[in-house]
Amino acid sequence: MATLSSTHCRSYSPLPSSSYAPSSSSYLCFKLGHRQRVSVSSGSKRFLQAKVSIQSHTNSGGRTHDGAVTTTVAPIENDIPFKKLKDGLLSVSSSDECKDAMTFDINENEPTVSITVVGASGDLAKKKIFPALFALYYEDCLPQQFTIYGYARSKMTDADLRNMVSKTLTCRIDKRENCTEKMEQFLKKCFYHSGQYDSPENFAELDQKLKEHEGGRVSNRLFYLSIPPNIFIDSVRCASLSASSGNGWTRVIVEKPFGRDSESSAALTKALKQYLEEDQIFRIDHYLGKELVENLSVLRFSNLIFEPLWSRQYIRNVQLIFSEDFGTEGRGGYFDNYGIIRDIMQNHLLQILALFAMETPVSLDAEDIRNEKVKVLRSMRPLQLENMVVGQYKSHTKGGVTYPAYTDDKTVPDDSLTPTFAAAALFIDNARWDGVPFLMKAGKALHNKRAEIRVQFRHVPGNLYNQNFGTDLDRATNELVIRVQPDEAIYLKINNKVPGLGMRLDRSNLNLHYAARYSKEIPDAYERLLLDAVEGERRLFIRSDELDAAWALFTPLLKELEEKKIIPEYYPYGSRGPVGAHYLAAKYNVRWGDGVDQ
Amino acid sequence: MASQFGYCSSSSTTFTPSSFKNETHLSSRFNIVPRKSHSSTSISLIRLRIRPRKHFQLKSSSGHPLNAVSLQDGTAGVPLAKNDMEPQGKEESLPFSQSENVGPHLSITIVGASGDLAKKKIFPALFALYYEDWLPENFIVFGYARTKMTDEELRNMISRTLTCRIDQRENCEDKMDRFLKRCFYHSGQYDSEEHFAELNRKLQEKEAGKLSNRLFYLSIPPNIFVNVVKCASLRASSTSGWTRVIVEKPFGRDSESSGELTRCLKLYLTEDQIFRIDHYLGKELVENLSVLRFSNLVFEPLWSRNYIRNVQLIFSEDFGTEGRGGYFDNYGIIRDIMQNHLLQILALFAMETPVSLDAEDIRNEKVKVLRSMRPLQLEDVAVGQYKGHSKGGKSYPAYTDDPTVPNNSLTPTFAAAALFINNARWDGVPFLMKAGKALHTKRAEIRVQFRHVPGNLYKRNFGTDLDKATNDLVLRVQPDEAIYLKINNKVPGLGMRLDRSDLNLLYRARYSREIPDAYERLLLDAVEGERRLFIRSDELDAAWALFTPLLKELEQKKIVPELYPYGSRGPVGAHYLAAKHNVRWGDLSGEDS
Repeated sequence: MATLSSTHCRSYSPLPSSSYAPSSSSYLCFKLGHRQRVSVSSGSKRFLQAKVSIQSHTNSGGRTHDGAVTTTVAPIENDIPFKKLKDGLLSVSSSDECKDAMTFDINENEPTVSITVVGASGDLAKKKIFPALFALYYEDCLPQQFTIYGYARSKMTDADLRNMVSKTLTCRIDKRENCTEKMEQFLKKCFYHSGQYDSPENFAELDQKLKEHEGGRVSNRLFYLSIPPNIFIDSVRCASLSASSGNGWTRVIVEKPFGRDSESSAALTKALKQYLEEDQIFRIDHYLGKELVENLSVLRFSNLIFEPLWSRQYIRNVQLIFSEDFGTEGRGGYFDNYGIIRDIMQNHLLQILALFAMETPVSLDAEDIRNEKVKVLRSMRPLQLENMVVGQYKSHTKGGVTYPAYTDDKTVPDDSLTPTFAAAALFIDNARWDGVPFLMKAGKALHNKRAEIRVQFRHVPGNLYNQNFGTDLDRATNELVIRVQPDEAIYLKINNKVPGLGMRLDRSNLNLHYAARYSKEIPDAYERLLLDAVEGERRLFIRSDELDAAWALFTPLLKELEEKKIIPEYYPYGSRGPVGAHYLAAKYNVRWGDGVDQ
Repeated sequence: MASQFGYCSSSSTTFTPSSFKNETHLSSRFNIVPRKSHSSTSISLIRLRIRPRKHFQLKSSSGHPLNAVSLQDGTAGVPLAKNDMEPQGKEESLPFSQSENVGPHLSITIVGASGDLAKKKIFPALFALYYEDWLPENFIVFGYARTKMTDEELRNMISRTLTCRIDQRENCEDKMDRFLKRCFYHSGQYDSEEHFAELNRKLQEKEAGKLSNRLFYLSIPPNIFVNVVKCASLRASSTSGWTRVIVEKPFGRDSESSGELTRCLKLYLTEDQIFRIDHYLGKELVENLSVLRFSNLVFEPLWSRNYIRNVQLIFSEDFGTEGRGGYFDNYGIIRDIMQNHLLQILALFAMETPVSLDAEDIRNEKVKVLRSMRPLQLEDVAVGQYKGHSKGGKSYPAYTDDPTVPNNSLTPTFAAAALFINNARWDGVPFLMKAGKALHTKRAEIRVQFRHVPGNLYKRNFGTDLDKATNDLVLRVQPDEAIYLKINNKVPGLGMRLDRSDLNLLYRARYSREIPDAYERLLLDAVEGERRLFIRSDELDAAWALFTPLLKELEQKKIVPELYPYGSRGPVGAHYLAAKHNVRWGDLSGEDS
């Protein structure tokens, strides 16, 4: 328990439920290593090495495949004795050590972290990145010494930036004290530098300013590229050449889109790799930072009861569902060039699918997990046109309110065929999943907003209660639902007897509703991912080969859609989407599970 | 000891009258209906249960006209011409006449009507069934006991304990009045054939010559079971329909006395006239156990030694004998709770998949489980007895403080036992039972602890004892019926802390309607001839065979129970017993309230 209170970052306040004493040890945080480093603040040295040690360790254990990882270790990290690393890694725990580390670390050699948000005046920066950084600061998850720089073309002073940022900062619901105070302290660490995205000189000026703040300490630098894809490379080039850290690590976070097909994605990767090593590149897929996506592996691998079920033997189909209840709302310019398949399916849903379906990794290390994910992607058949249904929303009037069609959006061409809805059936041709349809569905302007994973199990063979189920046995099977948003929840639909004198069966839920069980606010995905990037934890970021494999699945289909000018099926704004999705499901003997609930 | 259980005095040669034979024959025909042709009938049976009303009509319309059956037997419409019937005054305004062709008549006789169980459970259950329209159109209830009482007095007595269901209070008074009008009383000795003959006459009057079925509920001490059965069977059997007898525990106190009781009952009754009630089997969640197991694919692969580490069956009461230990002292907690209730649940839990849901198929599988178990050894049990305890200025009595209990009594009020089923599915899996009085809570539950995840990736999050963070499935039978599955998941937040949460289904939250009392279900089943939840003779024999050697040894060796304070968690011996089999009691881990 002591561990918890002393290093609250990765595992802040002890749970309300933590009352079961005997197993307090189970609260140990597997990221302990990292936690130490973080709270330890200057510990970046230790911390880095620990990371390195894990990797070299596993490498020596025979992992192949990823030369990049080992080569990128910055020189500075090598002078720390291996033993110490190992300690950091293996001493899973004790609060004592954390405290020791802390006292030990607070000195002038403490490394600094400079986080530069490139594209600081943009929407994502305002709405997500700065608030996430503040949340991390508020929770004491950032190193003691850190600086945040906004970089953009707009002319602004530091004060202008602080003013802008302060409008979107909020404190966590569960502990509002000191909020204003903390906010002010945080804003004092925020600065702004105005410059062109393709100007090495301007980045060199930034470098100068950063150095001033770093004050000669070991300095690590994180660049968050919150900019349009066409200037990715320019910025990376300038940042890498003119503003890399001289003595610590330099990492770059990139957001989607990572190209728009295999070729453009590969070109982007190739260009990035001219200036960055693989493990300097942090490709964010913010869905992987969602609480329940993180929990997916925990559920699977730490509960015996799911182990025998997780295969074609018991699972009939898997559904990955994403829906938004709004359209492009005047901002379709970017979207129109990509469409829902590239925007949601090829990345978010496919990533979740890979996590869901992967074999048990050797360990929880990023490389082990990503290796398994790549294997899943490479075992899948590229999508065919007949396994895909596309749709586009049209205008709809309801209750006196008229909702616009997609093509009513001024930033969208009138004759656009870009899908705003898509449903797809995918198959993994390996021993575990052969023949099990993985259905994906994603759409804008639908009747609700949700993201969930539904696992439908097979029917009970030779069911004694067959008579109670009518003719379609598949209507009464077990179903595991992991609702990623909103209202995070896990529930298992089971058949049970309706209380009473009869023998009527009923599907009930064995459920875990997060809001009811966990009073604290669930951190935003960006907080987790930023923290991981600072800590060098790559588990939730996409590796180049993963990206290639993902594109390989979708590229032929996307090309065909465009070349054949496939007309999307129109569906009214706010509806349940085109009926084509049902026919696609029916073809594989699946029934969408989301129509049934609520 | 056994001598006091000489159930059938000496008259084992008593003849069985032909009328009774007829009845037997007939009743078995009836019973065949739901049992043998399982595919078609159990559908109808299930439907019957679904539609609350008129299930008797439905039954006859589903191809088994009850009247037709009886006619074939040539015993229907028998001697009792209408002119035999003495008008009963205003009682005759009962709605019998209006429904002459509706279905057979049902007479329920509660023998021991003035007793506690009758007042608290049986009459209220009958009323609830009536209120919900589960009983046939034509039914009457007779109370039978030695006390002199009028019908009116009986009604008065009963009316105090009747309640209406919470969820539909309308017409309650009205319904109650109508129900009470169908209740009658007959005073008589339990061993008097004449008195039962009088009862028979009264019943015949009410039945008015219709095809009539009779159900006797024996709510009386075990030493007079056989006398009553003899008298009832000889003098008050139905001549045109079936006659069934419901018996409550105790069914003997060891193999011999139980065998003797069964033998005696069988002099007068055939096996399928005997309905041995174990009211735990009528509990909602015990009924649901088979549904959960057999209608959910997710449980199928888990249900064996491969995945289940141990099973715990836990029963506790938060009160002692409270001045009524006279009966209990002669039996003890092992006979009172374990050998019947907990063992029955165990058998249901562990049985192989039956061929069908028919009573005989299920009971066949249960017997197989019981016969695969090793008889209990002394070292497999821990016994306890509660002692006096003062808490918060209040003092609670010891078991032996009960004036009806001998001062030197060694009768266990608590017992824990480890049982094993030596078959392919369960070899090596400990089934732990625990039952006790005067403990800190009142509960009954089944806990299934699964094995730990082999090669768990998250091992480091669990500390050294992996078995502390395994999945548990808990079926809470009472109070607050619930099913929950303990799973490990991530505590929301930036770290990777794991936590055990519950995937749960709390009945109260999901189902607004009141859950029927076990007695309602069992009475209805007896009326309908559904034997699934009653104990067959061979089941009973097998159950006693497991416990008898141990019980004898406990008594012969005068094993002193471990004393535990009233209101405590029971003797620590239970923990050592569990530890011996590498089990940790799930209810005392502090996780659950």
